[in-house]
Formats: sequence, C-alpha cells, structure tokens
Amino acid sequence: MTPALTVTNMSKSFGGPLVLDSANLSIEPGEIRALVGENGSGKSTLIKILAGFHVPDGGSAEVHGQALHLGHGEASEALGLRFVHQDLGLVNNLDAVDNIALGAGYPSFRGGIRWRQERKRTRAALAELGYDFDVRRPAGDLAMSERTALAVARAMAPRATPAKVLILDEPTANLPAAEAERLFRLARRVADSGVAVMFVSHHFDEVFGLAQSVTVLRDGKLVITRPVAGMTEDNLIELVIGRQLEHVEHDAKAAEKREVVLQISGLGCDVLNNVDLLVHAGEIVGVAGITGSGRDEVAPALFGGTDRTGEAKINGAVVPKLRPDRAMAMGMGLVPAQRLANAAFITETLRGNITIVRPGIHWRGGILRKGPERADVRKWLDRLDVRPRNSEFTMADLSGGNQQKVVLARWLRMEPKVLVLDEPTQGVDVGAKSDIHKLVDEAAAQGTAVLVVSTDHEELVRLCHRVLILRRGRIADEFSGARMDHDLITAATIGRDQAAAV
Amino acid sequence: MTVNKQTTEPSVESKAAGHRAPAGRRIAVVLGLDRFSGLYVWAILILIFSLWVPSTFDTATNFRIIAGSQAITAMVAMGLIVPVAAGAYDLSIGGTVGMAVCIVVWFQANHHGYGLGIVVSLAFGLLVGLVNGFIVNVLNVDSFIGTLGMSSILIALTTWVTGGFQVANGISPHFTAIGQRQLLSLPLPVFYMVVLALILWWLLEYTPVGRYLYSIGGNPQAAKLAGIRVARIKTGAFLVSGVVAAFAGVILAAQLGSSGPDPGSAYLLPAFSAVFLGATQILPGRVNVLGCLIAIFLLATGVKGLQLAGAPGYITGLFNGAALIIAVALAARAYASHRKA
Repeated sequence: MTPALTVTNMSKSFGGPLVLDSANLSIEPGEIRALVGENGSGKSTLIKILAGFHVPDGGSAEVHGQALHLGHGEASEALGLRFVHQDLGLVNNLDAVDNIALGAGYPSFRGGIRWRQERKRTRAALAELGYDFDVRRPAGDLAMSERTALAVARAMAPRATPAKVLILDEPTANLPAAEAERLFRLARRVADSGVAVMFVSHHFDEVFGLAQSVTVLRDGKLVITRPVAGMTEDNLIELVIGRQLEHVEHDAKAAEKREVVLQISGLGCDVLNNVDLLVHAGEIVGVAGITGSGRDEVAPALFGGTDRTGEAKINGAVVPKLRPDRAMAMGMGLVPAQRLANAAFITETLRGNITIVRPGIHWRGGILRKGPERADVRKWLDRLDVRPRNSEFTMADLSGGNQQKVVLARWLRMEPKVLVLDEPTQGVDVGAKSDIHKLVDEAAAQGTAVLVVSTDHEELVRLCHRVLILRRGRIADEFSGARMDHDLITAATIGRDQAAAV
Repeated sequence: MTVNKQTTEPSVESKAAGHRAPAGRRIAVVLGLDRFSGLYVWAILILIFSLWVPSTFDTATNFRIIAGSQAITAMVAMGLIVPVAAGAYDLSIGGTVGMAVCIVVWFQANHHGYGLGIVVSLAFGLLVGLVNGFIVNVLNVDSFIGTLGMSSILIALTTWVTGGFQVANGISPHFTAIGQRQLLSLPLPVFYMVVLALILWWLLEYTPVGRYLYSIGGNPQAAKLAGIRVARIKTGAFLVSGVVAAFAGVILAAQLGSSGPDPGSAYLLPAFSAVFLGATQILPGRVNVLGCLIAIFLLATGVKGLQLAGAPGYITGLFNGAALIIAVALAARAYASHRKA
C-alpha cells in the first residue's frame, strides 16, 4: 500500500543550526500518529513546511505517491493535506459559517449565497463533533473548546480534493479532558474513513489513548518512530527529553496549617456563583473544571482583569475589584492563561518583560538605572534557567517554555503573598514544565499562598495540597491527600461522583 | 533541573550562534546601518547639495533657515510620540496648535496681555488632552476616531474665535521676541526644541512611565494584567501631546505675529510622518525622540536642497511622501528578515 504521507530527508535552518535535520517519516492511510518532542524540537517547523509556510533547505514529501510541491500552500491543499494549526487560524470577527468558508468557499453559491443552507451545513458539521452553538456568533466570542471544534470542522469541510492527511498541531492545548475526548472520537472516525491523522501533543496520556504509533523529535532530529503498544509513559518521556525525569512524591503532600492568606467569599462572575475558598500560607490549592464550569473566570476575576461580585481578602484586607494595580500592591501576582495575549510583550526585551512590574525599584536620582536593572534580571534568568540567558534578547527569540518562565520570573521577583497561576504550563514542554513546578513548590515553601487553575489534572496532582472541583460555577468537590488522583479529578469535573465510592 | 552543566553549555552557545547574522548584515550592524541609516542618508544629501548648489545651500544662513523652520513641526511631532508609544493616535494636535495660536493672539488683540494668553493656551492644551482621554478611556471610542472628531471641533472653534479673518492687532513685540529673537545666531525656537527633546527622551527612556507607555502600546491587555493603570497612563499621554502642541502653537504665534482662521492643520501630517519615519531610526521598531528629530531634519534638508536647485514648490509634499513610504517599507523588510533569523 502506498503511504498516505512520506517525508524524506527534510531539513531546515533559519540561518543558524538546523532546526530540522534530515527527518524521514511515513504514515499509512487510516493510521493515527502522534508527533512529540520538546518545544523547539522541530515539530512545528515540520508541520509548517508541509503546510507551505516554510521552504525547506532540502528534502521532499509525497502524498499517496504524488510529489508535494514544497513552499506552496495551495499545493498542499490540492493534494489533500488538511491542517489545524496551534493558534487555530480563525478570523475573530467572522462567524462560524464564514470561517469555514475561508478554506472551502460557499458551496451554496449560485449568484448569491444561500445563508440558511450554509448555516444548516455548518451546524451539521459542528454537531458531528458534538458541538451545538450559535453559528452566527463571531469566532472571537466563542469559548476555547468551541473555537477548536470550529477549526477542526473547517479542516474537514469538503473541498475540491478529498482529505488525505489531517494534521493537528496541539489541538487539545485549550481543551479540558472531557472535551478532548470528543475530539479524539472525531479523530478516530476520520482515521476509520481512511484518512491519515498526525497530531502534536504535550499530553502523553493522549498519545497513549489515541495514537497507534509515535514519532519523537529531539533537537531537530528524528529519534524514533515506533508503535505505541508496549511502551510506558516513562519510556516516552525519556525519549523526548533524552534523560530520566525524576518523580516527585505527591501523595503525602500535606501543608502544615498556617495562617489564612487569601480568603475569597461569595465570588461570582458570568458563570461563577457564590464561591468561597481559603488558601493558607505555604499552601498550593488547585482549581479544576471543564470549560463552562467557570474555571477560566477565577484568576482574572480575582486579580481584577474582569468584573466580579463577592469579596477577596489578603491577610484580612479587602482587595478592590477591577484594580489589578491594587491587587498587585497588596501582594498578589498573576500568571495569566494564554501567554501571548495576556502576558508577553513579544517585541520587548526579557529585561523589559520582567521589570515591567515595578521598574521603579531601579529609579535613582530621577533616572531608571539600567545597570542594576540588568543585574536584577540576570539573577532571575539564572534562577529560572531561562535560555538563552541574555536579558537583551526579545521575548520573540524564546521558545514557549522559556517565555512562560520569564512571565513567572516577573511575579516571583515581587515575592508575592498570593500567587495566582492560570494554566501555568500551557504549551510548555516537559523539561520546562518540571522546572516551573519546582519553582512553584519553592515559592510555596517560602510561605506564598498559591492558587493554580489548570486543565492539566496531572499537573494539579503534582503541585497541589488540595484541589477544588468546579461544576456549573460552584465548588462541587474537594480532593486532598490519598484521594488525589488525576482520573478521579477528571471524573469529578464532568460530574460523576465516583470519588465518593473510593 | 538535574541536567549536567557541561552538557547544557554547548547548546546554549549554539542557540546564541543562531542569532548571529550573516556576514552582510554583520557589516551593516557594525556601521550602524540598521539604526543610523537616516544619519548616513542625511550626510549624503548634504554632500550632494553642497556640490550641486554650493553658492546657496552651503551657507550658514541656509542651515539657520532649515533649523528655525522645522522647530515647530519637530515639537508637535515629539509631543505626538508619547500617545503613539502607548498605541493611541492623537489627530487633534494640529487643531490644538491652531487653537493655541488663536488664543494667545486673541488675548493680545483684546488687551489682556500675552502672559495670560500663554497660560490660557497651555491650559487649553491640557484640557484637550483630558477630553481626549475621556473620549478614549471612558466613552471607549477608538483614539483614531475620537481625536479626529476633536480635531474637527478645534478647527471650527478657531475659525469661530478669529471670525475667519487674519488677526494681527495689538501683538506685543516682547511676545514676538519669544519666537523671533536669536541666540548664538540660531532662532530661539531651536533651543526650545532641544530642551523639549531632552525632557521627552528622559521621560520615555529613563522613567517607569516610559516603560508603561511602550508596554501599553505593545500589549494593552498584558499591561493591564501587569498592574499598569492603562487608562490613566493613556490620559497622561494625551495631556502631554496636548500641552506640547499648545506650546508649539504659542511659539508659532510668536513667529507669525498673527493668527489666521486655521493656522495649525498644516502641522498634523508632517508630525505623523516624522514620528513613523523616526521609528525606523535609533531604536528601530519603536517611535522615539531622536529618530523623530533625524527624520524631520533629513526631510527638511532634502526639500530645501531641491528647492534651491530650482525644483518647484510642490516638491515638498512629493519628497516627504515618497521618503516616508520608502523608509518605512525598508524598515519593515529589515524587521521581517530579523524575525526570520
């Protein structure tokens, strides 16, 4: 049988070292392949070459035996390659119908677009993915999971040539477990129809749950392609990072009860309804919940990025709402979700990104002193092992994991009393993720009260002393001690009260 | 992380090497072509015109004329940098210049003295900034649209106050001295311009407020979540552009000794051109004071040289427009290739 996709000796550099070094791979029709590797290992480069964004330095690709003309988006399209890119590539002010039409056109067009027909078609395509939302709402107003579904629906929409290979770049980065499962069901159905599926993921449980085979990239080189069967998660992690990852004992993680630092009572938002919670000094409290549970509202509402009702107190003093500056002055720090939109100043230096919170520390004699500022920043780049370790590089020069460390450094530098982390390791590779977890542990050990909101339940188990489960805007359950288990947490978020049985 | 230091170090090195530019660009960097290309072009222009029309171009008087004629535009443009750094346009600066001219002339024509006129002009500039801040931050109108509307209102006000005529009676010679007297054989406005440049350079590069301005321009949402009071800083930026435009207006009135029905509008577009052209110089990719000054004097030198060589009057607009488009296009190319590397 001819493979659905063959890549031969593909190499690419951007004027420096090779970011992709003679990669070879082939995928059979109907196969589901996971592509894994740390940030900067070359996964995205490979995908972007196949999509025609980058022209490779050398190498070739074939789709069902037909040579792919590299460097041309239309050529990939014509041979049946379909993509869901990391940023999804939706146009925010267009609705679902128009977004799908961006690739596929309007099939009903005969002198005029028959909108009713188009909407029906769009609703049907989304229903197949298990989604039902107003297709006339602009994409920018949709929840993250709905946006992902829309991007997948667009990739799979019928075109002039049938889809041969579906490539998903971190499709579940913004999806909680239950919704990711729906996406997997779709991926399996797509594969069953004879289309090859390749997906990138940092979540190894997804690799084992969905893929038949896995390709590992490290530092631009293809390490191995092998079947998933007979592999353990630890094997895979070692292949990805090229060393053993140490395990941290988390079961017995119990904070000694110290004074309450963060006290939230009656917190309400769009979905959140009358939520009370306490975080003690030195304690790490997690918040889990599916999209729509109010999980994503907690951190911005607390810090003052969005409006809220209810009261938040730090050491007994009330934090006013809608005042991030006051929250900050009172000792709260926030690492927000979606780094690029909410935290990074991408064209600014690492120095500027870190000292943007209270640059005035280095203000002496009416002048911002850049020497002491650089020394200050260098200290933090060292402590967080940011690479490259140069305070004058811009944020755009860094990989996602390192960017996230810089954002974390911004707040650790303030030695906050309360640190709120919203999806702290979203789109971060395993090495950096483990570093970030350690830094959070250290901050807590020094007495910081930490609140972690995350869709990554293993992360919550790894980090937290207690995990609160949000369902429909309320706290539905709490896990700690021996009950801490990511499967139980996942089950609790979608509403099965399995936990009680354990 | 438990990684052996020795294994990590080479990878850091190789990553750093990835940022090293190819040979051609390295030479360009050594010569400062990426940051100082404007200075080179300026030098070349001066050389060309010195050879082409030596008798008129290459004279001290000519340099004095260029310096003096551009001081007002330069001040208006430098004030504009502040809101643009924070990602906000201020299209009302031309109208503010005009209104300030009109106020200070009106006070003298009505025998209230120029001192009070100057104070009221500057206060009016602040008021315009405050209203702009209100329109943009409280009414949530996009700055481009909000200040466009404000500009139209200001021009209407100026026409109303002057009655649509040239007003030139009762102007004190002490007042015109502010704009016309010379020091070290340079007109006084050149010195005002230099002092203002120093103040704004300090504000933008050596104060926390400068950091906040650029970060708001870079990513307003991230700035807000870093505890920066975005609305307050933006309003402050409009206050600066407003009061600087009013100050430039006062100096313009002193130079002219009169007020027409719309003396300020002609300064709006050159100021914007200079700010964006200036963003390709000194600190490439961001609007900055020095780059803006270089842009203004480069354009003025080119135009003056061409005029002395016998080019017709419309050469000013032609030259300025073409230079703006070409320079910004080249900078965008350089920026794109930097990003790829």
